[in-house]
Amino acid sequence: MRTYEVLFILSPQVPEEETASLITDFKRVAEGTGAKLTNEEAWGRRRLAYPIQKFTEGNYHLFVFDTDQSLSELDRRMRNSDRILRHMIVRTDLDHKRAEKLAKRNPKKERVRPAPAFPAAAEPQPVPVAEPAAVEGE
Amino acid sequence: MATQMRRSGPGEGRSDRQGGPGGQQAGKKKFFYRRKRVCKFCVEKIEYIDFKDVKTLQQFIPERGKILPRRISGTCALHQRKLQSAIKRARIAALLPFATD
Repeated sequence: MRTYEVLFILSPQVPEEETASLITDFKRVAEGTGAKLTNEEAWGRRRLAYPIQKFTEGNYHLFVFDTDQSLSELDRRMRNSDRILRHMIVRTDLDHKRAEKLAKRNPKKERVRPAPAFPAAAEPQPVPVAEPAAVEGE
Repeated sequence: MATQMRRSGPGEGRSDRQGGPGGQQAGKKKFFYRRKRVCKFCVEKIEYIDFKDVKTLQQFIPERGKILPRRISGTCALHQRKLQSAIKRARIAALLPFATD
């Protein structure tokens, strides 16, 4: 199972009713290929950092899908749609996995080099079992 | 981590092109020593740098819109790499500028 984030920018000229129907359309396309929507965010109108097709504003929308299939059909549709200024599909499950792994490794690092006192980020305490194993590894 | 310590050692400072190990001025050492840089992501235990998190990314984007180099921000190599790709993604999504001016 892979996780993809699909961020796209709709043209600010698209009227609101059409925006909603476009979004459901794209959702349906992805779900038609076996993707499962796990999260959705409407950021609404946002200033673009630079003009795209002479627009300085855009309507941002984000999907997060879990899927085994590729999202190429959605990608193709988005590319062909003239309502979409820009879209980006990013695979995130691998990075999240790696981040989790690193988060577990961190307590060990702290012993070597205590971090400066910081507003305590409520992190899980190092598991006592893991510590002797870490010493052996070095 | 060890390399990071060596980098900010005497004589190196922040300049790219130093003439050589700065023996001429012992006073210079003090100037460079005062600031100890640490990797923001290590300290705050942010392991996944999200390209959508503009607020965090913006701290590493100076005026000009370029990516702040590691030797100035103090970010560790691993996180700098992640940060770099996050910033590049954010640029494509028009969340951050490619260049300003």
